[in-house]
Amino acid sequence: MTNDKVFSKSRRNALKTLGLGAAATTLPLWARYAQAGTAEPIKVGFQAHKTGIGAAYGRWYERTTMAAAKKINDEGGINGRALEIVIEDDGTDPKRGAEVVEKFATRHNVDVGFGTLFSHVVIGSAPRAGELKLPYFVVSEGHHVASGMLNRHTLQPCITDVKSQVAAMAPFVANNLGKKVTMIFPDFAFGHDHRDFFSAAIEAQGGEVVAKIAIPPTESSFTKYFPKIPRNTDVIYHVMVGPAVLTFVKEMGEFFGPSRPEIFGFIDSLEAVDINSPGLEFLEGTYFWEGHPRYAQANQTEYDKAYRAGVGVDNTGASISDSKDIATYAHMFGCWETLHTIKAGMEAAGYQSTADRSKLIEAVEAMTDMPEGFAHPQGAKLFNGKTHQVFGHQYITKVSGGRLNLAHTTSIEDTFYPDEVDYTKQSF
Amino acid sequence: MLLILLPVRALAHASDQAFVLLLPTGIYTFAGVLSVGLTVVLVALLPDRKLVAFSRGKLVPWPRVAGLRMIVSLLATVVLFYLFFEGFTGSRDPLANLMSLGFWVIFWIGFVILQGLFGNLWRWINPWSGVYHLLRRFVPPRWHLPTCLGYGPAVFLLLGFAAFLLVDPAPADPARLAGVGLGYWLFTLTGMLLFGPVWQRRGELFGVFLGYFARLSPLKWSGTGLRIGWPGWQIVAARPTALSLALVPLLMLATGSFDGLNETFWWLGKIGVNPLMYPGRSAVMLPTAIGLVVAVLVLLVAFSLALYIGQKLASDTASFDHSFALFAPTILPIAFGYHIAHYLPGFLVDVQYVGLMLSQRMGGDAFYVTTSFFYDASTARVIWLTQAGAVVLGHVLAIILSHIVALRHFQTARGAVLSQIPLGVFMVFYTFFGLWLLASPRGG
Repeated sequence: MTNDKVFSKSRRNALKTLGLGAAATTLPLWARYAQAGTAEPIKVGFQAHKTGIGAAYGRWYERTTMAAAKKINDEGGINGRALEIVIEDDGTDPKRGAEVVEKFATRHNVDVGFGTLFSHVVIGSAPRAGELKLPYFVVSEGHHVASGMLNRHTLQPCITDVKSQVAAMAPFVANNLGKKVTMIFPDFAFGHDHRDFFSAAIEAQGGEVVAKIAIPPTESSFTKYFPKIPRNTDVIYHVMVGPAVLTFVKEMGEFFGPSRPEIFGFIDSLEAVDINSPGLEFLEGTYFWEGHPRYAQANQTEYDKAYRAGVGVDNTGASISDSKDIATYAHMFGCWETLHTIKAGMEAAGYQSTADRSKLIEAVEAMTDMPEGFAHPQGAKLFNGKTHQVFGHQYITKVSGGRLNLAHTTSIEDTFYPDEVDYTKQSF
Repeated sequence: MLLILLPVRALAHASDQAFVLLLPTGIYTFAGVLSVGLTVVLVALLPDRKLVAFSRGKLVPWPRVAGLRMIVSLLATVVLFYLFFEGFTGSRDPLANLMSLGFWVIFWIGFVILQGLFGNLWRWINPWSGVYHLLRRFVPPRWHLPTCLGYGPAVFLLLGFAAFLLVDPAPADPARLAGVGLGYWLFTLTGMLLFGPVWQRRGELFGVFLGYFARLSPLKWSGTGLRIGWPGWQIVAARPTALSLALVPLLMLATGSFDGLNETFWWLGKIGVNPLMYPGRSAVMLPTAIGLVVAVLVLLVAFSLALYIGQKLASDTASFDHSFALFAPTILPIAFGYHIAHYLPGFLVDVQYVGLMLSQRMGGDAFYVTTSFFYDASTARVIWLTQAGAVVLGHVLAIILSHIVALRHFQTARGAVLSQIPLGVFMVFYTFFGLWLLASPRGG
């Protein structure tokens, strides 16, 4: 039932990468943990977007997850037990997501569920996880966890939510790029969140949104929208997504030519796309939010170095196996860090079996500071046990010379907003 | 209020189609449609005898190996049952399970194309002939399959398969696929035991549909030897089929077309789905099912209308049914072109998962699955032009075949040319539609 083949294969590759040679790989997994008293592994159910619209992200989420599992096992597992990743495909489909959660709890008997990215799948699956009392660790950056709409069993301990990401951009934009902002966003919930969160945040900085240009989701040409940008605009804030993103950038470049306002965007638009692709020249000198800088920076930590080596990503954010295969680097660290947080939580709770699931949730709720390190290569974080949501540094990079160079790192405090829920008051 | 505040990740990346939208697909589409339009004119002007060569295959000696076929079929059955076993008990990951990869990638994409290129290989590897051969002496057929049913059972099952492919929420799920596959295998074997081998000819969907694609091949394997001709010569040489069987090529083309259409922004807009926030297959099952049926009906009506007007123009005295059965198979190259075009991008990725799985099972080194060719302008262009080329060539071949069939049917060049005008218009329109599908932004 498990994906043990992929798992053991990945382990082997990791060991090779680490230079541990073939001898260690010949030892069966169970034998290495026999001293712990039980050969039974800790099972983490990985709800993967193997098929459907999330598949491109899913591939990198899986690579990161497998690499983290390898690292954890190489370092002795969790509470002396091996960690096993059990993959189920949810088809990036909320209804199937709920079925996957159910399979995890009733058929695979996993200890926790983990890894869901797409918001609608999280929202479709979390209620079932709550009913089945399965700890459910999501990596979706949606605000749905901290908004209070989910339940005590659902946690987002290692990736910040979009509400804090967007709000944290306002100080930098207002102080460095300009106070008059025109927002260009897709006309549905995703774009509306950016519009609402950023409008409020920039006003708090003494700036203003001078125009809000909502683009219908089915649009594939944008030339008719650019004349709507007011002449007094200092900064364009864009957050376009979907297949027409490159068309959007190209047409914006053709519209402005050499003289343009400052431009700020979210890397979500160009995740997995080489910034040096033809047509993107116009982005030179523009700024991006990045959850985790794709290019290794001058101040690169040893943690980021080890993380890249573990997952198989080079200093430009591309796969070491194919230099044209760009990782979803800004988001996938969440899988690596969440798996380490599950380990830390289980160890703090003295987790033995599924009977200890509540203890695990309480142990994670009790967490606060997560220092930067090999378990948290993206940076230090502060977990809010009441809202089940983590807060952390955000990165703003500037495109220069075909690289994304770090221009600013926000403080963790920049990402704060008042609590909207206290899950610890809910019973198990 | 809460829902409005929900940040939704949605399709928060550029998607693998972003580079396609940067290509000058308008110019490519114009060129493709023009090529097909010119083919219509050129074929009409070409002397008849140049085209007649199209309708014959040349016989070359080939050893007779009928007994071997049963053995190969039995081996195929063993392989299939291994797939079922793995589907039920193996990895739950469809991209690491031989059931899902074997059926959808190796068989449904790969083997179907091989069948169209190399002739009826399915006769060898179908998983029923061998088993039936062993069982038939113990279980003589009890019932007679009513002639009036024609190929109805196969047509009905083919529509069911299309629904599984397009409507079912999880056709790639290993256990689900194994369950459906095992059920269908038992159903077909039961049909053969009850009605005799005739069930395999008229009630087994893969045999019927793959048998059609085999006719596109230059090669025809038979008891007397191997015949070789131009691609599609077997379609021209064949006698008119039963009306129910003639529905199959249209069903195949309609399914293939809708398989592309249902991902476009245009279609998602029609069914009220935000293409940047695709809610998953399970949320669109009803509209997809209705769309599939409507697509079949629309194609059926459009093709019939073109055929009917052509008959009137050419003062054809033959019945419409006869004409339909005669001309429907000539659209097979289009269905084949669509199959290649539609599945090429997915195949380029999934075949790597086959490689990964095989290398892992043989204990080899890691096999890296990449999708970078979608995110590179030059490779994205090559892939798109290959897809477009398959669509255009399919139409060109269909026009040629249809014209030769018309020449044989009408005996006069004038009748043939007149009858082909509406069908020519249909083909030109369908080329535009096919290329538009490839160039359209897609969600879902």
